[in-house]
Amino acid sequence: MARTKAQNAADAAPQNWLARTLQEHARVFFFSLGKLVNHPGSSLLTAAVIGIALALPAALHLAVNNFQRLAYTWQNDLQLSLFLKDGVDETRGRELTQQLASRDGVKSARYISREQSAAEFRELSGFGEVLDLLQHNPLPAVIVVSPDAGRSAAQVTVLAQTLSALPEVELSQMDQQWLQRLQSLLAILERVVMMAAALLGVAVLVIVGNTLRLDIEARRDEIVVMKLIGAPDGFIRRPFLYGGCWLGLLGGWFALLLLTVGLAVLQAPAHELAALYQSDFAIQGPGLATVLTIILGGVLLGLIGAWWTVTRHLAAIEPA
Amino acid sequence: MSQAIVQFSQVHHRYPGGGSDVLNSIDFQLDAGEMVFLTGASGAGKSTVLRLIALLSRASRGQIVVAGANLAQLPRRQVAPYRQQIGMIFQNFNLLNDRSVFDNVALPLVIRGHSHQDIGRRVRAALDTVGLLNRERARPETLSGGEQQRVGIARAVVTKPLLLLADEPTGNLDPVMAQEVMRLFERFNDVGVSVLVATHAIDLIERMDRRIVHLEDGRIVSGAKMAAASKLPLGVL
Repeated sequence: MARTKAQNAADAAPQNWLARTLQEHARVFFFSLGKLVNHPGSSLLTAAVIGIALALPAALHLAVNNFQRLAYTWQNDLQLSLFLKDGVDETRGRELTQQLASRDGVKSARYISREQSAAEFRELSGFGEVLDLLQHNPLPAVIVVSPDAGRSAAQVTVLAQTLSALPEVELSQMDQQWLQRLQSLLAILERVVMMAAALLGVAVLVIVGNTLRLDIEARRDEIVVMKLIGAPDGFIRRPFLYGGCWLGLLGGWFALLLLTVGLAVLQAPAHELAALYQSDFAIQGPGLATVLTIILGGVLLGLIGAWWTVTRHLAAIEPA
Repeated sequence: MSQAIVQFSQVHHRYPGGGSDVLNSIDFQLDAGEMVFLTGASGAGKSTVLRLIALLSRASRGQIVVAGANLAQLPRRQVAPYRQQIGMIFQNFNLLNDRSVFDNVALPLVIRGHSHQDIGRRVRAALDTVGLLNRERARPETLSGGEQQRVGIARAVVTKPLLLLADEPTGNLDPVMAQEVMRLFERFNDVGVSVLVATHAIDLIERMDRRIVHLEDGRIVSGAKMAAASKLPLGVL
């Protein structure tokens, strides 16, 4: 043969594998980015649709997270009121309060005497004159017990039952049933978020797939030429996969933008509402983990959508 | 005896849905470093021979061996690396109009993973050979037909292929350009590249002292050098 085997080998392996791979990925990185930049209208439109699809479950997730935080705050603010029997004098009441305060699972305990109860009633209820009509103070002394922070609803219930059984206690009161209902509701909502995320994830796959399908059709002639001159499927597929990643990444950023705008719009009214309840609660935005999940989720969905579409359509394009 | 780079043995081919064989019992050999013209009327099977070598179709029957590879046994994943060893030139040029002349010629090198420096050096050398070094930044659609074909040739030879296949490369060119293209093929052949050209242009090749394989209705009716072939009855060529 006219050409030596050594010559052919040198032509067949022009660079080492690593250098070749890095160079090829760098080339495709900029090539696919250039394609995106050269068609800003359609690229942004697709990214916006992906962004909305990603933002919806992310917004629901944030809402659930914030409600959970709120519920946790409310749970920590729960107080158990132990109404003491009439026969328990103030000395015994204060003694019992100290004992309860040092008890395991109790953060603090505060004794409110019958006189203090009456004073508070006068000040807060607006029916202070009614007390004047009575011959004696009907209000009992109360020990207000705050459970340790971080205790579960079940643990707090057990504590309440134990303290209610004390001989000095006439009645105990702690309304946490609504809180348990709220938590159950949030658990359901959490699953709804997961289902919505799965469905909208499929929607992102379809959006990316359809965009790239049109791109493949538009570049059919180019693909045919590449196959004619010996481009392997991986070489032809690569720019489309990068294209899918770029769309996913842009979509992820767009979703974050939507969330940020949404949070900015809701923050002030939420703060005002919280202030009405003497709370300093503020809506918490996406943390680093959520931001990364949205961005990487977008990229991953873009990549999977691209792979799925390109693999299906490339096989159908062969030089005639 | 010279080593064959292309060997057809009893090759038959029928396209899917086709009524009869396009190629019939073809036995044909292209030696390494040889330049051969495939001639024949439209539908005689010239392009089918090239398509089978380029693995754009697989032969229905018979054996085709190219550079030691039995094409019938070549797995699908090996088709692309196989095609990288072949330079292909088309009547309609098959250039990418959204890329520059340089990028078109560079494409086979990019596919093979050559370094930027190597690509620049080889592409410019190839463009210099076909006389288009000063048009490297132009878009193919701004070039004349002859220039576009020369870009196609530069792209085909830039990887220094073992075999150059050309399907009616002068079909869209005026006689002067066509002759220039044929001269380019001879130059590549002179440096050892095997060349197989399917063409109608008898007047163009009769002045070249190369073997001609003539096809009629899918059969080889002659395979001789032009001087010998010219003694055949009129109408065979």
